[in-house]
Amino acid sequence: MLRTPRPPLIHRSPMPGLGLTMGITITMLSLVVLLPIGALLAKGASFGLGNMWDVVNRERVWAALFLSFRLSFLAACFNLVFGVILAWVLTRYRFPGRRLLDAAVDLPFALPTAVAGIALTALYAPNGAFGALAKELGVKIAYTEWGILIALIFVGLPFVTRTVQPVVEEIDREVEEASATLGASRLHTLRRVIWPMLAPAALTGFALALARAVGEYGSVIFIAGNIPLSTEIAPLLIVIQLEEFNYDAAAAIGIAMLLISFAMLLVINLIQIWSRRRIGHV
Amino acid sequence: MSDTSLPFRPATEETPLTRRLLIGVAVLGLALLVFAPLAAVFTEALADGWAAALASLGNHDARSAIQLTLIITAIAVPMNAAFGIAAAWFITKFDFRGKAFLITLIDLPFSVSPVVAGLCIVLMFGANSLVGGWLVAHGFPIVFALPGIVLATMFVTFPFVARELIPVMIEQGRAEEEAALTLGAGGWRVFWTVTLPNIRWALLYGVLLCNARAMGEFGAVAVVSGKIRGQTATMPITIEMLYNEYLSVAAFSMAALLTALALLTLLLKTALERRHADALAASHRH
Repeated sequence: MLRTPRPPLIHRSPMPGLGLTMGITITMLSLVVLLPIGALLAKGASFGLGNMWDVVNRERVWAALFLSFRLSFLAACFNLVFGVILAWVLTRYRFPGRRLLDAAVDLPFALPTAVAGIALTALYAPNGAFGALAKELGVKIAYTEWGILIALIFVGLPFVTRTVQPVVEEIDREVEEASATLGASRLHTLRRVIWPMLAPAALTGFALALARAVGEYGSVIFIAGNIPLSTEIAPLLIVIQLEEFNYDAAAAIGIAMLLISFAMLLVINLIQIWSRRRIGHV
Repeated sequence: MSDTSLPFRPATEETPLTRRLLIGVAVLGLALLVFAPLAAVFTEALADGWAAALASLGNHDARSAIQLTLIITAIAVPMNAAFGIAAAWFITKFDFRGKAFLITLIDLPFSVSPVVAGLCIVLMFGANSLVGGWLVAHGFPIVFALPGIVLATMFVTFPFVARELIPVMIEQGRAEEEAALTLGAGGWRVFWTVTLPNIRWALLYGVLLCNARAMGEFGAVAVVSGKIRGQTATMPITIEMLYNEYLSVAAFSMAALLTALALLTLLLKTALERRHADALAASHRH
């Protein structure tokens, strides 16, 4: 019986530079990313699983993790809806100022988070332009959960739009025509024909925005108020532990957050595999 | 493309009312979330006039923060660009097992919180760690010093160039390089005369994004910098310190400087997307 030979680890190739590029890639990846992450895990291992659990299993830590998650989820939901609308409007409609809006979508990627943080705080603080307006209505935005939510919406804004836009561009108009010819209303076509095509990309963008928001620090701490059990986000807890030179506790919370990020990364990859199977591209 | 001046509405378009409503939502949302904060940065910076804003940027601490940020970027961005080119070459020019896993590892920093990234650097190179302790004993501290800030910056911007180049180089294939090799060109010659001209716009695009993030990185740098005024305080860290001291004009003036840089980045990025769309990764073509 013939046995298929196991493929070689690296196929022979006439291309030059194997040793050099592999060396640079592995060395730098290890030094900058893998070894530091390994140092975090090693710190956790030497601290012990039980001790780590004791650090994480405190009311203040649960409150921070829950707050980070809940508000990141809400912000990602907002961005899912707004992002799909934005992608549709920017790709399908022609109106003056469209290019400006299109470029503006990327501002949250380009603007430093600390700058976004103080700018949003200046706007939404009780003496700021929008904050004063909200105060008239009896709502406090900055230094409450609303403020955190706005900051998280800001940092996650581009993700859904940028993943959905290329898909909208590729939709074949004939599909929509066919749907209309068969008697579907425009709304029906949007719901039953267009949305299924956009959904995988929209969900990928949603997951990316969620992952970004959970770890976000710079744009949130200025507007958050940072009151324990109420407006304290998870990344801030790590910073507080580090300022007290409490490296074990910082590592414990850091590992908890790392596990959450890995879980989300897995979900993103599963969505992409699912979408590739379903529509043949991401 | 359908002509909107036609008296009837094609079946593949929304009613004019829906259309206007959706455009309204988009404009209003971006006005509140993007344009208003942008305007706030400049109005707050100029609250006491141009002279006060410029004066706040001219003092010693502000100048040293700007200088530090420029030095860090000048080290971190070329290093990551070199890594990006090497990694993209390795991944796209050779076939090996575990390629998908390697790409996942390179993308890893995007899914790690910047604060956790900083924490990792502290635990690896801090004075209490094995490596860090030895380096400190030999007069080469990493954490709370320049090398730590550079490492933290490199960590958070690590994937930018590689993830820009990989799709472009996959699309371009290996035929041109193979032809050059057959004609007797050496490895470096192939890279400089065949590969680099093909990837230069994508490379520039990646470097642009990497640079913007490197100059503005806050979370990871906040953890490793130690925030020593005039020494390890970068521009974003200085913004935080000034803001917490209620020096609003000074904080927003420095913020305005970084905002101007962000706007310039967006301008160049948009120009690249419009002029050299076919030389960029497919996801940026619009």
